[in-house]
Amino acid sequence: MAAKIKGIPAKAKSTDNSSSVSGGVEKIPTGIKGFDEVLEGGVPRGRALLITGSTGTGKTVFANEFLYRGITKYNENGVYVTFEEHPKEIIKNVRNFGWDLDILIRQKKLVFVDASPDNIQTRESGEYDLLGLVERIKHAIVKAKAKRVVIDVVSMLFSKFSNKDTIREVIFLICDELKRLDVTTVITAEKAGDNGNTLSRYGVEEYVLDGVVELVLKTGQQQFLRKMFIKKLRGAGYRSGQVEFEVTNNGLEVFPKIVADHRVSKTDFKNREMFGLEGVDKALGGGIPQGHMLLISGNTGTGKTIFGMHMIVEGIKKGQNAVYVALEEPVEQIKKTAQEFGFEFEKLEKEGNLIFICPRLIDMFNDKVLNEIVNAVNKIGAKRVVIDSISSLMSATMNEESVRQFLIQASSFFKSQGIVCLMNFLSGANFGAAKGQLLAAFETSAMRLSSIVDGIILLLYVERNQRIKRIFNILKLRGSWHSNNIFQYEINKNGIKFGERYEE
Amino acid sequence: MKKKYVLKLYVIGSSASSERALINLKEIIAKESETVFQLEVIDVSNCPQLAEEDKILAIPTLIRKLPIPIRKIIGDLSDKEKVLLGLNLISQNEKPQ
Repeated sequence: MAAKIKGIPAKAKSTDNSSSVSGGVEKIPTGIKGFDEVLEGGVPRGRALLITGSTGTGKTVFANEFLYRGITKYNENGVYVTFEEHPKEIIKNVRNFGWDLDILIRQKKLVFVDASPDNIQTRESGEYDLLGLVERIKHAIVKAKAKRVVIDVVSMLFSKFSNKDTIREVIFLICDELKRLDVTTVITAEKAGDNGNTLSRYGVEEYVLDGVVELVLKTGQQQFLRKMFIKKLRGAGYRSGQVEFEVTNNGLEVFPKIVADHRVSKTDFKNREMFGLEGVDKALGGGIPQGHMLLISGNTGTGKTIFGMHMIVEGIKKGQNAVYVALEEPVEQIKKTAQEFGFEFEKLEKEGNLIFICPRLIDMFNDKVLNEIVNAVNKIGAKRVVIDSISSLMSATMNEESVRQFLIQASSFFKSQGIVCLMNFLSGANFGAAKGQLLAAFETSAMRLSSIVDGIILLLYVERNQRIKRIFNILKLRGSWHSNNIFQYEINKNGIKFGERYEE
Repeated sequence: MKKKYVLKLYVIGSSASSERALINLKEIIAKESETVFQLEVIDVSNCPQLAEEDKILAIPTLIRKLPIPIRKIIGDLSDKEKVLLGLNLISQNEKPQ
């Protein structure tokens, strides 16, 4: 299932049997999940794309999937030129992804050009060129009636032959020939260290190739984090920047950045989304304005999660479906907690009104989570989202900047869809609020997100007469009147019981 | 009993290096009176399938099929000493004068 993003005014297209035209260049889908969205439709037809990266980054998987999807999904036969592994090894390796190349070879839809190392002693005596390779590739293309070609790993040529000019010439020649034959090519190249044989060192990258994608591998806590950078795509649009991807047991999965046009905002101050808690909705001037992103900041046990539950249940009651992003507790536990207050999350989920998303917290991919949220929202047309909590997101990614990025992207997506989002934020505010200065002890870390969110609700404990009291204040609510009062509230068996203005 | 060599020379069309390779190879063969040569010249553009089987990349490529082990020499064969070494027609220590 391709990650389709509904309602987003991007040029991204669904990838089924379609090619798209953007900027005058016809694009063909690679069939790699998510990648075609990043390239706004796919790779330019008849052009050559270079995939670079060091060992183990997934270059060969990329190349294989480009060919395999081409043949099986888009009816475009392929030629596989291999300089590194023997065809038998390749066939064996990709079986792990469920791709059966033997059948494709028997059906004459896939032809190998085997340029893998042989054990034959070879000497050089005088001048030569690499026209043998060119002829074999041309022959294979005709034989397979190929529309796609993979050359894997082209940088191996530099260790095979001593004459670098000859190699450069042949790469030019092959690319030229492939363009003439109107086949779309993926070339992989090893990106070695500073003194290694990178293609760009020989001036190949700049002049011959129409697009360059670099794959990068980073070590996470428990697994590898993979990223790709689209470095260039001549004459065609693409989403710039880096995107995360994974190698799954079904091939690659790329998590495109969510592109929501930030100029499109369905924020509507007349349309208020309510908690169903009279006092709260009143203090908000009638509820949260549609399309607003609201932060609920409070210490542990102040009831942030319960406020979120109220909002979800109230929304579904009014016909607005919801998505719950559970980053703090296991979903089962959330359901049980909700049940304690009489919120039937289990039932709401079964009836398709509520979707839970529970990302892995170690080595988490922000973009992956974002894509999951977008997919879930689109699936049930959700209008309310709860993220519990942003603090977990921060500790999981260990990176405030990436959380900021996440929130900015999420915010523009939610706004473009008119979704209300409630985000919980654990603040370290303590009990020591002095009389008459209740908010003075408020931890300002939530404030750093202030420019991204549209509203901030503070929940705080105060200790008075040997009892803990809970107080509530709306610190900010963009574009709307809101009460400046400090309110008292309690948590009972029905959830939040909102009280009167707190007075000392 | 003369030694028997089976050679294949891969060339392309009428490229200059291909022509030079054939001339150079014929000169070498002519000087080897102790050896019987069986030479096949193959044009890759006419027989790409053969080139596939022999995994030919460079043109010209000379292959010694027999005696085994198989050996390959790429280039226009202008460095004759390397050709003789590559074909094992001389050993390292009996270089021609």
